Amino acid sequence: MIRRNILIFIAALSALSVFAQSAGLEPEQASYADSLYNDFHIEEVEVTARALTKDIIIPQTLKGEELARLNALTVADAIRYFSGVQLKDYGGVGGIKTINVRSMGSQHTAVYYNGVQLGNAQNGQVDLGRFSLDNLEEIQLYKGQKSDIFQSAREFGAAGNVYLTTRKPYFKTGERTHVRAQMRFGSFALANPNVGVDVKLTDALSLTLDAEYVYSNGKYPFRYKRVLPDGTTAYDTTAVRQNGDINAVRAEIGLHHYYRTTGFWRVHAYNYWSERGVPGAIVNNVWRNGERLWDRNTFVQGTWQDEWFGRWSTRVLLKYANDYTHYKNYDVKLLPSNNEYLQQEVYLSLANKVQLFNWWDVSVAYDYQYNALNRENLLLDDSKEFFDRHSHWLSAATAFNIKEYLRLQASVLMTAIQNRKSKIENPKITPGIFVSFRPYPKIDLSLNAFYKQSYRYPTFNDLYYTDLGNANLRPELARQHSVELAYRKASKTYDLAFTASYYYNRVTDKIIAYPKGQQFRWTMLNLGTVKINGVDAKADMSFYLPLRFVLRTRLNYTYNTAIDVTNPSDTYYGHQIPYIPWHSGSAVAGLEWTSKRGDHYGLNYSFIYVGERYCQQENTVYNYVQPWYTHDLTIYGEWSIQRYWLKANIEINNLLGQDYEVIQNYPMPKQNVRCTIAFRY
Amino acid sequence: MYHRFQILIIALCSLLLIACRKDEVVYPTIGTHVTDEVREGGLYVLCEGNMGSNKARLDYMNLHAGDYYANWYGEQNPTQLKELGDVGNDIQQYGSRLYAVINCSHKVEVMDMQARHIGQIDIPNCRYMAFKGDKLYVSAYVGSIADPDLLGSVYEIDTASLQITREVKVGHQPDELCVRGDKLYVCNSGGYLTNRYDSTVSVIDISTFEEAEKIHVGLNPTRIRADERGHLWVCCQGNYNDIQPEVVVIDGPHIQTPCANISIQGSTAYILDNTNKRLRAFSTIDYTEQPQPIDISSYENPYGLLATNEALYITDAKNYVSSGVLHCYDYTGVKHWSTYTGDIPGHLCRVTAEYDIHGGGDTPEPPAKTPYITRVYEYLPALGQFVNMLPKYEEGDDAESMCRKCEQAIANNAKGMVTLGGWGGYITFGFDHSVANLEGRDIQILGNAFYMTGSTEYGSSEPGIVLVSRDDNRNGQPDDTWYELKGSLYDDPSTDHAFSRTYTRKGDTLQNPFHTQPYYPQWLTADAYTLTGARIAPQTKVISGQNVQRILEYGYVDNKPNTDVEGTSFDISWAVDADGNPVSLPTIDFVRVYNASDEILGMTGELSTEVTGAIDLQMNK
Repeated sequence: MIRRNILIFIAALSALSVFAQSAGLEPEQASYADSLYNDFHIEEVEVTARALTKDIIIPQTLKGEELARLNALTVADAIRYFSGVQLKDYGGVGGIKTINVRSMGSQHTAVYYNGVQLGNAQNGQVDLGRFSLDNLEEIQLYKGQKSDIFQSAREFGAAGNVYLTTRKPYFKTGERTHVRAQMRFGSFALANPNVGVDVKLTDALSLTLDAEYVYSNGKYPFRYKRVLPDGTTAYDTTAVRQNGDINAVRAEIGLHHYYRTTGFWRVHAYNYWSERGVPGAIVNNVWRNGERLWDRNTFVQGTWQDEWFGRWSTRVLLKYANDYTHYKNYDVKLLPSNNEYLQQEVYLSLANKVQLFNWWDVSVAYDYQYNALNRENLLLDDSKEFFDRHSHWLSAATAFNIKEYLRLQASVLMTAIQNRKSKIENPKITPGIFVSFRPYPKIDLSLNAFYKQSYRYPTFNDLYYTDLGNANLRPELARQHSVELAYRKASKTYDLAFTASYYYNRVTDKIIAYPKGQQFRWTMLNLGTVKINGVDAKADMSFYLPLRFVLRTRLNYTYNTAIDVTNPSDTYYGHQIPYIPWHSGSAVAGLEWTSKRGDHYGLNYSFIYVGERYCQQENTVYNYVQPWYTHDLTIYGEWSIQRYWLKANIEINNLLGQDYEVIQNYPMPKQNVRCTIAFRY
Repeated sequence: MYHRFQILIIALCSLLLIACRKDEVVYPTIGTHVTDEVREGGLYVLCEGNMGSNKARLDYMNLHAGDYYANWYGEQNPTQLKELGDVGNDIQQYGSRLYAVINCSHKVEVMDMQARHIGQIDIPNCRYMAFKGDKLYVSAYVGSIADPDLLGSVYEIDTASLQITREVKVGHQPDELCVRGDKLYVCNSGGYLTNRYDSTVSVIDISTFEEAEKIHVGLNPTRIRADERGHLWVCCQGNYNDIQPEVVVIDGPHIQTPCANISIQGSTAYILDNTNKRLRAFSTIDYTEQPQPIDISSYENPYGLLATNEALYITDAKNYVSSGVLHCYDYTGVKHWSTYTGDIPGHLCRVTAEYDIHGGGDTPEPPAKTPYITRVYEYLPALGQFVNMLPKYEEGDDAESMCRKCEQAIANNAKGMVTLGGWGGYITFGFDHSVANLEGRDIQILGNAFYMTGSTEYGSSEPGIVLVSRDDNRNGQPDDTWYELKGSLYDDPSTDHAFSRTYTRKGDTLQNPFHTQPYYPQWLTADAYTLTGARIAPQTKVISGQNVQRILEYGYVDNKPNTDVEGTSFDISWAVDADGNPVSLPTIDFVRVYNASDEILGMTGELSTEVTGAIDLQMNK
């Protein structure tokens, strides 16, 4: 039965079956690793961890059941619950969703999938709306960088980092197979089945398969209403969003081999196909747009890690990615267009860490990446274009502890990029320094601080886009300064964690589109300086109440100013940059009750607030965008009978049906509902 | 412990809830006082706004009150769903209506002169407009049925019913279009086909509404305007790479210049070179470059342009994503005022006083006096090769409307040109005040005379005699006694002081193959007219194979170059009566200039006094 399930799955993933066949039929072995598997919910990095690698920058983490309880369909929805981030959301299941960390621009944020960065050399943005939560175990957001010196060189390079970690299999003694099946229905004709299988092939070797299908017709009602200053209605209309449908299939396969307590290798293959409409901006006299988008994202990545002499750790990462995008405009009102893009990426990383003394680690890492982009306009014969780039990163880092009071990390990264037909640029050196001070050994109170520089390199679009690209662009530089106070206290009845931070960032040489000295022509220029000052505060509190009730709350609040200080003669000098709210925050409260049998019932409420902001550089009444806030509710129950586990979940989003826009002229859905039934064996 | 957390939670929640969402109020209209100067009427400013932003904005500059109204359309039409729309691309007045093309809202918005919505015409990807009779013509990047070759269309719309009546396919991405006679000329830009730009102007026969021919111009033509002689000026953008932009005059020269925008006023074409940030001026008569009227080198992104008879309006679009600026200059280069606009102020439309929006308000200040002439009272040229062209006669014109055209050309320092034709042809003009007879020369009258190279004795001189008059009967009309300003040949025996000639329609036989239009003033209902006055003897001599004239000493219009202020100026003290007796005039109100030469020089045509303006020199003092 189980074997048949796997075969069905493998058939569905025939393109990837090589992995399953080569790895799946090993003879079974008894192994010392059984007990280790039980602990696989811990990150691998920590498997080999010593005290030194404890985080200096405390990440924001959502994982496991906490993630499942949130009103969130995709990674982008979940990240709304983090502090210090600004989400751009074009609405609907298929709309693009990207994030900014501390107002520095989405291209300063790197997203990692199982430790390897997801790339988009074309536009530098990763659409987090495409990553389902169903196969994820954990989402972590690091401002600055992950303060672990044992990492790939590239990871030292981004200003903000989001780590997505897929579910890892773990088996209790005697277990060999896990099957998960889940069905989700919802508003806008959402249908979202998901199946996953974990197989223990040998005691050391396991296989995970996960596949998901998403369909939504994207037809949601939205409303535009304006009133006259005296309060009477000027206009009030409700329409249905058109051309927002999506059809997407995701399939993943992972093979994990833990051959020693210190060593493992893992291969992960990912494939995503989608077809979607691009619903476009709602403007006067335009209620429907006709662009269509087809995507196929494929990557295969491998990780190998081991430790030598108890002091020397090595990690190798390899990746090949092949991303195809086809964009077609069917809108008869516009000029037809039909473009194909193929991006390829080869990535190699070699990282080494040596523990010199118990209190002193050093690491060196080298990464190489090759990116290529083929672009073809299918309407014109002679419009094929090809761009490529070689990138090299070399990092050195060190970490040491002074007793229990002080922990220090310093890293330096050298980046060298060679774009097609240009000489290799002068390598850029960027430092980072991280300090954590814990004055009282018995009190979990720490004062953390960091300074970091990072470059955002121009994308292929910035450099070469027809008539717009500027091959002479310099990278954009972000300098971050941050201090943070963290306190945690836990007892049998409560678990409290507070963090408050202040940061000052300065982004210079900002890459912006600027009009050329000719009609209707733009070009990309290094023109722009932004000064960012902000405060993040968060409080996670859990209270273990009588009668097996648990109350969990999570509060986040961000205040920040992100001021354009490019040129005092600009009309927008000193104004808040577009789409950065001054105030934003979220509050989550969940009450869960566990029956004597161990079943769970819960109610989760969440509130997200994004304050007023402006949609263009000038902070004028014509560019003002109102605050938005949504109330979301989830009710769930979980039942376990022996090895079977069942969960039912109803989410109501935007409970009060607020009509709002995150991006101007892209209306968001009003009240909507999702129901999920999940089964695990 | 719990208590403290509750306080914290409540405090945080209440902080979040301070700024709640309110009802969305319509975008306000904001008025700003910009200038104390008073002119008649107003100026509509259509700001494009960026694609997808729905921020096309129609602003109004009330020139009467000196107030600028941001989002004027919004106040007039607060109930328009999603406001004016996305990307404003053209605005024009026709009859008593305003028409605005809103490109990415795929419509032409039709408004009354106060910008109140009357209706709309849905046209996909519409770009620019032209009018003729009761029809509106709109170019559009796409046709009503998508064309596999991506050809664009021109639509014909009935302005009464606002219905599309006909459609014709033209070239790729048609932009500006204009009407000349019974033909439509449409720029085929090919602007969306990088490296494959179009380079033609489609000529559409309006009666059949079919493309009659394609004229090859330069690469990537985007703008086309007719000058007053009917020549078509086409702005070609090149390929933004190795092929340079140029202005191509059809059947005329190619002028190498970047040309983001163009506006023709009188006989000057103003061309906006936004690559080098300068406003260039070219004569529409001989295509020579004129001095640049204003300095725009400090602009960030010069963009919109409108030359009217009283002022030059020019906009700076800045970085395209923030407020632009509208500047107003006079033709002497003096900036009068500036004001912020919406995003990308691209399109300007001057509306006259009869549509003055706030006309009912306070009594306006009397207009500031100008040293330039403001009125043309009479215009009667003798038969000549530029008659009916400078200014241009159009069907329906009468003596009165021809005077208005002369005003557009030469009043208020517009620096256009009016021809007086052959011997005896005249023009009568006046100022907004009486000119005082003070010490020295009083009035400068401008023409187009020049010296031959290396000489101040010979050159192109087409002498005209000046008469002045006082409004003795105070009726505001030049029907009082005329006095001649005595020139250097007045007492010369070769001058005939009592000449007269009758010109007839029948006598208008074609004389010059370069100018084949009728030479008889077409607005005259009579078939003959008689002119009387003085005639000076021929002054032409052939030097180095060229016909040149002896430059007269003083007292004649169009005799010496305009740069010679003294030589082109006149003293009211020179006035004599019909019998040649000096007359003392403390002030004068009217000036008449008539052509006193009577020579026809083969292919170059007759000697004909041209007038390009006049200035009260005493007021400047």
